[in-house]
Amino acid sequence: MDLTLSPAEEEFRDTLRAWIADHHPGREPDGDEASFTFRRDWQRALNERGWAGLTWPTEYGGAGATQIEQAILFEEFARARAPQLANVLGLTMGGPTVIAHGTDEQKERFLAPILSADEIWCQGFSEPESGSDLASLKTKAVLDGDAYVVTGQKVWTTYAHHSKWCMLLARTNPDAPKHRGLTYFLLDMEQDGVEVRPLVQITGEAEFNELFIDGARIPVENVVGGVDNGWRVAITTLMHERAGLAFALQARVQVALSELADELKGTKDPLIRQRFAQVAIEAQVLRLLAYRGLTSAAKGGEPGPEGSLGKWLWADLNQALTTLGLDARGPAGQLVDDVWTYRFLRARANSIEGGTTEILKNIVAERVLGLPRA
Amino acid sequence: MNFELTEDQREIKRTARDWLAARYPIARVREIALDGAADDTWDEVVELGWPEITDFGMVELAVVAEELGASLAPTPLASHWAARLLHPELEGRGTVAMWDEGGTDPAASTMDGPAGTKIAVPAAEGADVFIVTASGGRHFAVPSSAATVEPARALDPTRPLSTVTFDGAGEELSGDHFGRAWHAIAVAAAAESVGVAARVTAMSVQYAKERKQFDRPIGSYQAVSHACAQMFLETEGARNVVLWAAWALDHDPDAAFMAANSAKAYASDAAVNVCRSALQVHGGIGFTWEHDLHLFLKRAEANARAFGDSTWHREQVAAAHL
Repeated sequence: MDLTLSPAEEEFRDTLRAWIADHHPGREPDGDEASFTFRRDWQRALNERGWAGLTWPTEYGGAGATQIEQAILFEEFARARAPQLANVLGLTMGGPTVIAHGTDEQKERFLAPILSADEIWCQGFSEPESGSDLASLKTKAVLDGDAYVVTGQKVWTTYAHHSKWCMLLARTNPDAPKHRGLTYFLLDMEQDGVEVRPLVQITGEAEFNELFIDGARIPVENVVGGVDNGWRVAITTLMHERAGLAFALQARVQVALSELADELKGTKDPLIRQRFAQVAIEAQVLRLLAYRGLTSAAKGGEPGPEGSLGKWLWADLNQALTTLGLDARGPAGQLVDDVWTYRFLRARANSIEGGTTEILKNIVAERVLGLPRA
Repeated sequence: MNFELTEDQREIKRTARDWLAARYPIARVREIALDGAADDTWDEVVELGWPEITDFGMVELAVVAEELGASLAPTPLASHWAARLLHPELEGRGTVAMWDEGGTDPAASTMDGPAGTKIAVPAAEGADVFIVTASGGRHFAVPSSAATVEPARALDPTRPLSTVTFDGAGEELSGDHFGRAWHAIAVAAAAESVGVAARVTAMSVQYAKERKQFDRPIGSYQAVSHACAQMFLETEGARNVVLWAAWALDHDPDAAFMAANSAKAYASDAAVNVCRSALQVHGGIGFTWEHDLHLFLKRAEANARAFGDSTWHREQVAAAHL
């Protein structure tokens, strides 16, 4: 057991920290367009340094770094309150999926613009009738000459209104068992037949969208990982999302926690002190779980069940943390606070998005503990 | 960055597990704890070298402590460790007398020197030396000849407790005992709770696979399987935070004390939550004297209250942040 960084990792951290200090663009501007441009510029600066695809192989424009170094990047970004990257879904899911399952032509075509944020990616998985039971999705794709014609509706598509490409899961074989008839496509969003409608959430913002697809065309060369093989392709993507995300999320929790500590400094209220300590302790538990995930990913290659545990614990923790942030305001919690009211409301989705807590518990029960399926 | 135990640490874990399984199968634990049979392995423990913790790092100590907890072994080893951590030169077998009657803060004894009464002293009968906490953070080594031991009724029958009255004789120990030593003791106790949580989680999962109601294994119901998943989450989380704290005590002094407080609070709660939930998963059979579950539940509850409870340790974490 050794929880220290190697000399090379320490050097990377110091170089990174200095680079962030030199390039940090300051506070994110208000407004959707301004905030998007700000995040895209930040990603471009990072990409020019060669760090946008930190863990991607160097032949695809990445830096070939380790998962530990990726974790260091997340922690340093959080520490410095660095902006988010505009193309987060392309970087964490789309790119890795193309690298793992794509053809040489696809790698040539799609990877570089993901890194440069010239082409933003979104994810078309969930549907109004298919949430936790994702494999039951109904959006269908029918072959017509050299292209598939797609009809259906997607929901919760983050960033769809800025996106050029959508990772689309659609049914290509209605007669096969539900997991076997799906195909993973890359859908060009800039065409007739694709309509994006903002979906306003309980926070009042429209971070997510609804996607209406009516006769959109996808050329056959934009199938990733083979026809009817989409479930397997999507699952590897989701597992990577959970393992990698656990680290980014825990880093953000540490930041919110230190902000809350500043606000609560000196409080004598024993209940608030107890709740704060519990959140601080669970934040450490989450951080260690994420590190442990890195250790097993480094050994085995594939993300283990830690990804599911981490996502679940993060949801519980972030909800407790943001609730405490609101409760600590006392009666003033009835009024909108620019920081904590938003965080509290936004956190309500944590136990739903990216796999509900109930589904994650099923995964742990069935695949880790070996309990019989419900 | 590596969370894996070293080959040496794994070897220590295997040795401890095998020895405990051979000497303390649960039937033997019941004979000692419930039927009054004598625990007769101390000479063997000494031969194994386990009381001599000077050769152990904290991770090694935590690894063995987890196995101790998992076995429910009614050995005085853990109490002796606590005494050794406070008084490394201690000769013979030691234990710790820390709680004033009515006291809740382990660091705030009002006893004026080694004269007075302590409650809930573990493994007091047969101990050679008592480490006694007194006012002002002072600690005294008191020989058994200056102590009167009155057995108490312990919630956890696998760990006898006594009320001990000290007559005032004893040698004051130098050093800052509420620094590293008490935090190390907290981590060792937390590791025992991890052992309890891990074993009870495994028992519950096994039972949920075998027990059928309405013609299905009860583990196929989400009300049960999700309870088991929660046990697993808390057990894994507790083990990680205990290993971190143990490692930090030897390698990262800046983080070590908060890590130790975090470990004791989280692992105590985890073991308590796991055992309470396990009783629900086991249903009526788990509520019987005949079933072993109550022994684990009582150890979890008692251990959570030893060496500072979760509320006290959380307040230490809060004080470090706020």
